[in-house]
Amino acid sequence: MIDTLLSPFAIWLAERAIFTPDTLAVYWQGVETTLSLVSLSLLLGFLISLPLSLARGSRRGWLRRPVQAFTYVFRGTPLLVQLYLIYYGVVFIDDVQESWLWPLVKEPFLPALVAFTLNTVAYTTEIFHGAIANTPRGELEAARACGMSRPLMYRRIVFPSAFRRALPAYGNEVILTLHASAIASTVTLMDLTGAAQFVYSRFYAPFEAFIFAALIYLVITLTLLYALRRLEARFNPQLRGVRKQRRKIMAFGNAIPQKP
Amino acid sequence: MPLPSDSRPAPTSPDPAEVLLRAEGVEKRFGDTRVLKGISLTARRGDVITLIGSSGSGKSTFLRCLNLLEQPDGGELEVHGQPIHFTTTRHGRVPQDEKRVQWMRSRVAMVFQNFNLWSHMTLLENIIEAPIHVQGTPRAEAIDQARRLLAKVGLEERADHYPAQLSGGQQQRGAIARALAMNPDVMLFDEPTSALDPELVGDVLAVMRQLAEEGRTMVLVTHEMGFARDVSTRVMYLNQGEVEEEGPPQQVLGSPQSARLRQFLTTR
Amino acid sequence: MLNLHGYGVRLVEGALVTIELAAASLIIAVLLGLVTASAKLSKRRLPHLLATLYTTLIRGVPDLVLMMLFFFGGQMLMNDVSDWLYARFGLDLFINIDAFIAGVLTIGLIFGAYMGETFRGAIQAVDEGQLEAATACGMSQALIFRRIRFPLMMRHALPGLSNNWLVLLKTTALVSVIGLSDMVHVATQASKATLEPFTFMLFVGAIYLLLTSLSEWVFKRLTRKYNAGFAGEES
Repeated sequence: MIDTLLSPFAIWLAERAIFTPDTLAVYWQGVETTLSLVSLSLLLGFLISLPLSLARGSRRGWLRRPVQAFTYVFRGTPLLVQLYLIYYGVVFIDDVQESWLWPLVKEPFLPALVAFTLNTVAYTTEIFHGAIANTPRGELEAARACGMSRPLMYRRIVFPSAFRRALPAYGNEVILTLHASAIASTVTLMDLTGAAQFVYSRFYAPFEAFIFAALIYLVITLTLLYALRRLEARFNPQLRGVRKQRRKIMAFGNAIPQKP
Repeated sequence: MPLPSDSRPAPTSPDPAEVLLRAEGVEKRFGDTRVLKGISLTARRGDVITLIGSSGSGKSTFLRCLNLLEQPDGGELEVHGQPIHFTTTRHGRVPQDEKRVQWMRSRVAMVFQNFNLWSHMTLLENIIEAPIHVQGTPRAEAIDQARRLLAKVGLEERADHYPAQLSGGQQQRGAIARALAMNPDVMLFDEPTSALDPELVGDVLAVMRQLAEEGRTMVLVTHEMGFARDVSTRVMYLNQGEVEEEGPPQQVLGSPQSARLRQFLTTR
Repeated sequence: MLNLHGYGVRLVEGALVTIELAAASLIIAVLLGLVTASAKLSKRRLPHLLATLYTTLIRGVPDLVLMMLFFFGGQMLMNDVSDWLYARFGLDLFINIDAFIAGVLTIGLIFGAYMGETFRGAIQAVDEGQLEAATACGMSQALIFRRIRFPLMMRHALPGLSNNWLVLLKTTALVSVIGLSDMVHVATQASKATLEPFTFMLFVGAIYLLLTSLSEWVFKRLTRKYNAGFAGEES
């Protein structure tokens, strides 16, 4: 009896044979590539944004305006266009093909990393600048009244407070960077989306190929969300008890962030 | 304490003290808590009835039952002789006829503690909104009436201002004008001065006093004991969902019978 | 001067495709968003569940993956339907869905989820007291929605709407990957043909900048209009 029940399914599986160990290995490599691309660009982006956000808020025009122009351009144009520019354009740097850089830049990973880093720097700089600029005036006045020097005030008051304020928006940016990384597949990078495209073209099975990738992205996104909510709760103890600590998947659904 | 008996006027004789609003045995539950345990109120033309009591006594809840912003779980409600019929659905006890409820609400106007003027409309637009869209008043006529009412409450220069540009006292006087614009039989006031800065309270009370002197029928919940004493025709003291004392202000506020009422009054 | 190697006309045509695509998708996204928001706020379990599932799935997956899924999966579905029709009824009908329509539906579907969240937040942000005052005046639910809730909601929704529009505009670039002839697609082809990627990509980038700047200017004007009565209130 069980044979008759399972045999159609077995036949179906045998016909499909999409999710063999080989294909799963392709997906796994894709996940590795995606995660390394995303975490590297986020890390670099974060570090570069810190000084840039200070420059962005500077009273000195020569510091502020270049950063403003940079964020304006990189937030006002599609990431795809930025990626194409860097990926296709790098070939045109004089003598690059003879240099030591060539093996690195002819592979899509480095150009993609540069493009994504620049993009996230633009958004993150604006996020941090906004958070710093929104420091309550009263806190600054109290610091001055205590006789704090400017650097001390920034270190002990402005940055910690700005970090807490920026966390929701920055968490948003982290997840959006994850989603944006799929674009790297358009320049032949074998990330998770690239793996899905490979499986699709190989087996002519768009649903299986892309739904599987979508599910993996979904799991990563929800995990990131969970981690970010825990982080937010940890850095905002004054809100504890007001927020629900336990969240069901449905609540996760509501918590997935908006695009900036 | 026996409640005054209700005698409905005989249909043939014209009664200057006709009953405009009648609530009988109103009950209300929030979850397991019985907030109202059977409160009755009869408002005749020209009555100014003040409900007093500590927070949690149910006075605001009862007031909101009178225009069905809260649905009573038990009791009867009649406006201008027209009863409101209820049915029990799976959502609880709800009015049978939504159109009747809307009609009733245009005859019973409410002034809120937080004014609740519509922030995207000017003062004038706030006042003409319900007359035009609920009562079908022609626009020109509604605007005329609105300007008269604004003059009455002393805000004729602010007609084109937005609520955010007005002080709390001005907003509340505007809200009173908005309530008057519907030509209501009865006006309900839910702690109208509680959200105001002390200096602004007087202006609003002056308007309310003027309305009372003109013979408006008013039911109000307030903590302003001076107003209750000077302007009301009747005071009801509510405690834990029941009417503990009721009568003319000199009696209830001057020589209170119950110990709790006496204690309540000493703290004010 | 900028030498577009004769691709100028096609680039402009591509730019028009981009704008039309974005505008059409916006309409669908806004309509879907309103429906989704009311479903999410519904007290009944089924609409709430469906809406939450919809927004979770869409917002948890990259746009490009969704686009490929809908587009390539849709193509396959259409082929299967055509085959089935032929096998069953002998109809030799090849249902070809226009790439533009596919793009509009896909982007509209994706951004419907984001608009839904924007509208939901905006509806919830409306002052309860003002709605209660409208009820107390005897207004019907329909009247309250039309005269009070919708105008007040729009004020709260505008920032989110504007952000979503800007992202939508930039996301249209992705349709070039699935073969739609928008300006990025034209630029890619031109770059490959002339080996001058900078020329065309910078040109396309400039057009996008123009569109986003224009949009932000319109948004500023709209904000001023919808915030007419709110001077002095904290935003």
